[in-house]
Amino acid sequence: MTHIQISPGAVAPGDGRSVPGRSGPGDGPPPNGAKGTGRGENLAGYLFMSPWIAGFLFLIAGPMVFSLYLSFTEYNLFEAPRWIGLRNFTDMFADPRWRQSVKVTSWYVLIGTPVKLAAALAVAMLLAQKRWGQSFYRAAFYAPSLIGASVSAAIVWRALFSDDAIVDRTQKVLGFEAGGWIGDPEMIIYALIALTVWQFGAPMVIFLAGLKQVPQELYEAAEMDGAGRRRKFFHITLPMISPVLFFNVLLETIHSFQIFGSAYIVSNGSCGPADATLVYTCYLYEQGFVNSRMGFASAMGWLLLVAVGLVTAVLFRSQKRWVHYEEGGR
Amino acid sequence: MSRNNGMDRRQLLKLAGLSAAGLGLTAAGCGSGSGGSGGPVTIRHAWWGADDRAKKVQQCVGLFEKKHPKIKVKTDFQQYPDFWKKFNTQAAGGNPPDVIQNAVTFLRKYEAKNVLLDLGPQAEKGNLDLGGFRSGLEKFAEIDGKLLGVPVGSNSMALVIDEKVYEKAGITPETGWTWDDWYAALRKIKDGQKIAGDAGPYGVMYLYDLILRQNGKAFFTEDGMGFGEAELLPYWTEALERVEAGLYADPGKVEQIKPASATAKGLSAGEFTWDNFSVRYSAEGSSSYGLAPIPSTDGKKTGQYLGSLMLSGTARTEHPAEVATFISFMTHDPEVARIMGYDRGVPATTAQFEAFQPTDAPSKAIAAYETSIADAGVLEPITPHPAGADVIEAAFLRIGADLALGKTSPKDSVKQFFSEAKTALAAN
Repeated sequence: MTHIQISPGAVAPGDGRSVPGRSGPGDGPPPNGAKGTGRGENLAGYLFMSPWIAGFLFLIAGPMVFSLYLSFTEYNLFEAPRWIGLRNFTDMFADPRWRQSVKVTSWYVLIGTPVKLAAALAVAMLLAQKRWGQSFYRAAFYAPSLIGASVSAAIVWRALFSDDAIVDRTQKVLGFEAGGWIGDPEMIIYALIALTVWQFGAPMVIFLAGLKQVPQELYEAAEMDGAGRRRKFFHITLPMISPVLFFNVLLETIHSFQIFGSAYIVSNGSCGPADATLVYTCYLYEQGFVNSRMGFASAMGWLLLVAVGLVTAVLFRSQKRWVHYEEGGR
Repeated sequence: MSRNNGMDRRQLLKLAGLSAAGLGLTAAGCGSGSGGSGGPVTIRHAWWGADDRAKKVQQCVGLFEKKHPKIKVKTDFQQYPDFWKKFNTQAAGGNPPDVIQNAVTFLRKYEAKNVLLDLGPQAEKGNLDLGGFRSGLEKFAEIDGKLLGVPVGSNSMALVIDEKVYEKAGITPETGWTWDDWYAALRKIKDGQKIAGDAGPYGVMYLYDLILRQNGKAFFTEDGMGFGEAELLPYWTEALERVEAGLYADPGKVEQIKPASATAKGLSAGEFTWDNFSVRYSAEGSSSYGLAPIPSTDGKKTGQYLGSLMLSGTARTEHPAEVATFISFMTHDPEVARIMGYDRGVPATTAQFEAFQPTDAPSKAIAAYETSIADAGVLEPITPHPAGADVIEAAFLRIGADLALGKTSPKDSVKQFFSEAKTALAAN
């Protein structure tokens, strides 16, 4: 408890380690009544937290620990789990479908996330300008984020990209006789990527907020020095919004790794054709709930957690190179 | 201050105790509602199917509740694959529905896990009537002396054809035609009518089972696979050639129209499926559809057997007598037959078979087809599938499709199939 009992005056201005606002009013205990925090208040505090604590223990922590145990066992839901050591993991690396699922997911993350963020940033920059009807456009571009993850949107997507549907017909008008994307193992993944890119509204709103924070003086000064649009973008906008960009990259990457619903529905529950949309979670689900290999599925889940953790760690490390936080700014 | 704390804690404990007791009371209340001997008993019935089946089942349930006012039936349904995912999870959690729709593929799987109720004792007590079944169907789901299900209908594999295309091509399928005749027909249809002759038989496990049986083997033995790479490799190699030659429909197109049927959507002149499925073709497509005999290797033996949907009880049910009463009603009541029609196959009991006189063309065709194969004397007994058969069937279908799409070579496909089959047999 003592570590938050810092009186506001104790924070030296410009002290690099302390985060402004951490010791603001209303955050810590009342400045004078430090002795009032007895066991009673602690108990009340824990009591108020108890629904959350119980939920966390029984619905998150407990099952997680259990699934960690299961990942070293063979478990078909009915018979008691049988310890098999690391065999689930060695089986996984030898399994061509598991490798396919890693390939599909990596491709989805590597293509989908950058394209989605680029689209979000581009539209955010357009919408940051003061124009008539601006709030309407913001809402319109944000709307797909609200409905994009839904089952119905995925069903519509399946219809759009089938043979003789609008995408196929547009292709024909443009001179490509490629056919619908849904039945084509090479193309269906791009239909999924298009579905996630279409939902660029959420990162767009965050970019918009970031863009509004960029001081106009910087642009004015740059213009005085004769900087063009490109220069202003790469030397002012991008560095100034890099913390926001970092946040979006992190969030969207983690989110992309977890893709399930859209792949499952667009492929009509088969994650096909020819395993072309067999994303990692789809294969995990199939192994666990269709093939009754819960041990294998748990092992897959833990490996995904570790992989996402590693990617996150790498992103955080890379921050130093490209993310600029304003020193001492408010 | 500390005394106050103590008070608070005691009060709190009291409160917690009270609320726990409250929960206990509610639970007890629920228990007595369904378990008492006097009040009505509720059983849960789940099945797979679509909306039209749901409406029919609901009607039957209404009828049952009227005749047995002390039994209430709660219903639930999903599509086939989703049904088994849900049931598997419910059964593992010890809370499966009391009565489920079932099929031969799942008998050994769930028997090995003690999920299914042995209905034998209920038949002895008189709660379940096993009289009046056609062609010995009452023994259909008897495994190791246990009665694990009661058939509601029977069906068999058939070749559903687009009659208009066959007529234009000048082909009349006849009992006793061979695979060579059929392949010649495919070529004629392709050349003359510019349409694939079949939707792609390479992934249909039940058809491949018939081909194997025609050659003295079978897809499954009681505890494993009844064939090997030597059989499957030539079969899939030839299948790929026929896809490339356009004799089988474009697999990419078939993929996109799912779950609709390729033949009904005009992608092929025919496809192999269960005869009772043909009811839906006239609703999905615009041509007229008929049932043709299964081609054979030697002109005689088709390897066919009666398949069947059945109703099973689950072992953890608290009301085995009511479960048996419900199953007995669903399989014998003539009114049920008039409601269900051939939705789950031709009714299994004579009473129900005679109660429903088909008036629509597809149902008449099914009745004629079932009679014709029974008369031809080609029917054989079915092998109960080993545990894991459902997973193996799914793998056969999926890998067959991958092969047709040109994603894997026949050799790799065969290897992948047997590797997955081995895993499935070990895991289940």
